[in-house]
Amino acid sequence: MLQKDIHDFLDRYFTANDCEMLEQGNDLLHVQLTIELDKLLMNRPFYWHYQELTGAEPNPMKLKLRTKQSEEDSDGEFVHFGSPRLHQIFQSTRQLGSYIRLYENVQQNENAYVPLVPWLGLNIKVSYQCDRKKDFLYSIGLNLINGMMVSEFQGLLESKPLTPKIPDYCYTMSTLIRPGSGIKRIEQYIEQVIQEDDPQWSIDARKRWKEDEELLDHFYQDIEELPESYHVEKQALKELYEPKVVIQIINGGMFYLSNHTMMNLN
Amino acid sequence: MTFKIQHDQSWSTDFIKRLDEDGPWANWELYKLALEAEESLIIPDFLGLQAPKHIPHVQILPHQLEVARKVIEDMNGKGILADEVGLGKTIEAGLIMKEYMIRGLAKKILILVPASLVLQWTYELNTKFLIPAVPQKKAYVWEQYDVVVSSIDTAKRSPHREIVLDQDYDLIIIDEAHKLKNKKTKNYDFVQHLKKKYCLLLTATPIQNRIQEVFNLVSLLKPGHLGNEEYFDEAYRSGRYDVQNEEKLKQLINKVMVRNRREDTGLKWPKRIVKTVPITLSPTERKLYESITQARSNTAYEQHHAFSTITLQREVCSSREAVFLTLKAMAEKEGISESARETAISLMHEIENVDRNSKAEKALEIIQSIDGKVIIFTEYRATQLYLQWYLQQHGIKSVPFRGGFKRNKKDWMTQLFKNHAKVLIATEAGGEGINLQFCQHIINYDLPWNPMRIEQRIGRIHRIGQEHDVHIYNFATENTIEEHILRLLYEKINLFENVIGDLDEILSRVGMKNIEQHIRDIFYDSDTEGEIRVKMDNLTSLLTYPNSEGDAYASEGHS
Repeated sequence: MLQKDIHDFLDRYFTANDCEMLEQGNDLLHVQLTIELDKLLMNRPFYWHYQELTGAEPNPMKLKLRTKQSEEDSDGEFVHFGSPRLHQIFQSTRQLGSYIRLYENVQQNENAYVPLVPWLGLNIKVSYQCDRKKDFLYSIGLNLINGMMVSEFQGLLESKPLTPKIPDYCYTMSTLIRPGSGIKRIEQYIEQVIQEDDPQWSIDARKRWKEDEELLDHFYQDIEELPESYHVEKQALKELYEPKVVIQIINGGMFYLSNHTMMNLN
Repeated sequence: MTFKIQHDQSWSTDFIKRLDEDGPWANWELYKLALEAEESLIIPDFLGLQAPKHIPHVQILPHQLEVARKVIEDMNGKGILADEVGLGKTIEAGLIMKEYMIRGLAKKILILVPASLVLQWTYELNTKFLIPAVPQKKAYVWEQYDVVVSSIDTAKRSPHREIVLDQDYDLIIIDEAHKLKNKKTKNYDFVQHLKKKYCLLLTATPIQNRIQEVFNLVSLLKPGHLGNEEYFDEAYRSGRYDVQNEEKLKQLINKVMVRNRREDTGLKWPKRIVKTVPITLSPTERKLYESITQARSNTAYEQHHAFSTITLQREVCSSREAVFLTLKAMAEKEGISESARETAISLMHEIENVDRNSKAEKALEIIQSIDGKVIIFTEYRATQLYLQWYLQQHGIKSVPFRGGFKRNKKDWMTQLFKNHAKVLIATEAGGEGINLQFCQHIINYDLPWNPMRIEQRIGRIHRIGQEHDVHIYNFATENTIEEHILRLLYEKINLFENVIGDLDEILSRVGMKNIEQHIRDIFYDSDTEGEIRVKMDNLTSLLTYPNSEGDAYASEGHS
């Protein structure tokens, strides 16, 4: 993320959270936090506990962020890609933007009711992990009526007008596949993708593991009763090298899309 | 299958619940932002470093990046970082730590450092690396915080020991790791029992002259890498001078150790311009010096106070205030012989005749001739106070500096020096991390006997970040013990021109851990000037041709 991207991100973040913008410049954002954001970002649980106990007028803080380091404007917090503030905000988006339900905003007249098809959309992070690590992101959509699965689902969604309320003259079709099994189907699909991927990374990790383990065994070979340090070390090697893949859902939800969308996919 | 697959179920459970309860649902913009945040944090490759873009305010040098890369990619995160002093081992360790944290591979981290550096490390990790490290202060800190900095002495003691050994650390960093070379110590035992996944051992003097010590250090990091003890003894120790074995051993060591020397880094170092400034004692000072030397030949006195006589001689070369304090302490000491007390008292009277300080006058002259700032190093507190007063008399502002100052005070004094004073008068080098690069002049008002301390002094300003040449003025009072040290030892080994790494290595190679004691013995045991000269010559030749002494398994460079 470049500084400009960070600025845009923060701008959108505070706007999406209904914060009042007190001051704004190319590299300045001065915002009045809402109570909810203050609780998430300002790390003052005692104040909020006290406020709730006494019923005092809540007084959320203001936050002044700069996305460019400057000598003369010393007030305000400089935010860059590694700054703890940005990561705290990143984390809060996981809390605030994890579950969703949206409808395609179909323009329709009263003469014909439009059915909307239920889709389960998941954004999934897959991590290949041993003593090293690599991540992949997948965005998968599953049609909960006919079981069709599409990748790059997020991109598709972002090209549609979406709304949180069901539009007039539309109705949702019932799912044939329950969302719970839908999640499992998508996960199985991901697993299959992983299985088909080149496993060399994990073979290499096992090789490194084995090498170190052999050294360890050799180190203690002449000792009759293996000391605790041997077992500690052996366990450490396992934790360090043992290759695993972690599948984690970042966010996801139900998306009711028009048939038109489905046709385009076919 | 060569790997196992783990699913994180927490999202699904909560999702199903929300479907049943009809919400709450996020807004679309925040949903997109959550995904974008995650996209920006994706680790796109097993290899390469993510950390630098997270800490844009830190200037990372090419050799430091290379060390981090090498430790992570070639050493699987287990390495001895052995750069020469001043090349930034802390930066390298911080970089590696940051990388593992960003990748989500290390969360629980323990950093063991000498007690005096705990706050320094904590401070640097927080400010430079934006890592929320905390110093260990209370027992609950071990469990409550993810990144903890502690002294090994605290950590190894009950009740801490039990708690620490019970933690599941992902990364352990040990500074000054050469202190772990003896496996019979409690420290060694403690570290051996720590569960070490990723592990960094930091040391500037990794290879002492004993091969066994190398074995011990490497075995902590990677047991078996140099074989087991019996095998190791057989293969290497017996064939100590066997070139093939030595080559093989070096190769093995280089697989777990990175060592950069100054010349490898390709960094341009500012020059050191060294000037010896001869000082002639004033007649009254000279008289005092002679009286003290005289007292030395009084044998009864000498038997008890050999140490003090040499100390007194050195102190006269510094200031009468310094001698006075020592004499006063001697005179007031219990159990001292009457004759010794009398000698001390009569010498104290003689101090009153000293009417000037030749060195201080010279120092003033130099300070006045220099535009920039000056650091004066003295060995004595009394001299420090005197100089502050003396400079004040001549309208020169100075700030004192002592190694014992707390971190805050050190920072404060550094700031004062930078912004408001011309001179800093220090009794000690002041510890790592004191940034005095804005200064280019050092006066060695008196010389310590341990050459490492000279290096530490110069190292405060002659380091990465110094953009100008550095001027060093060495004061040497003529025809005194001080001149001997300077002429016979320091100048011969080119101490002031060389850089610390070499000296570091030389001292450890010849196994001269206590060079100060060595020098003291020479002065005390010699009856004549000639004898002193010969013995000092022997000492310098040892330092100049260190290899003649034996088994130096220094690892040269890295592959």
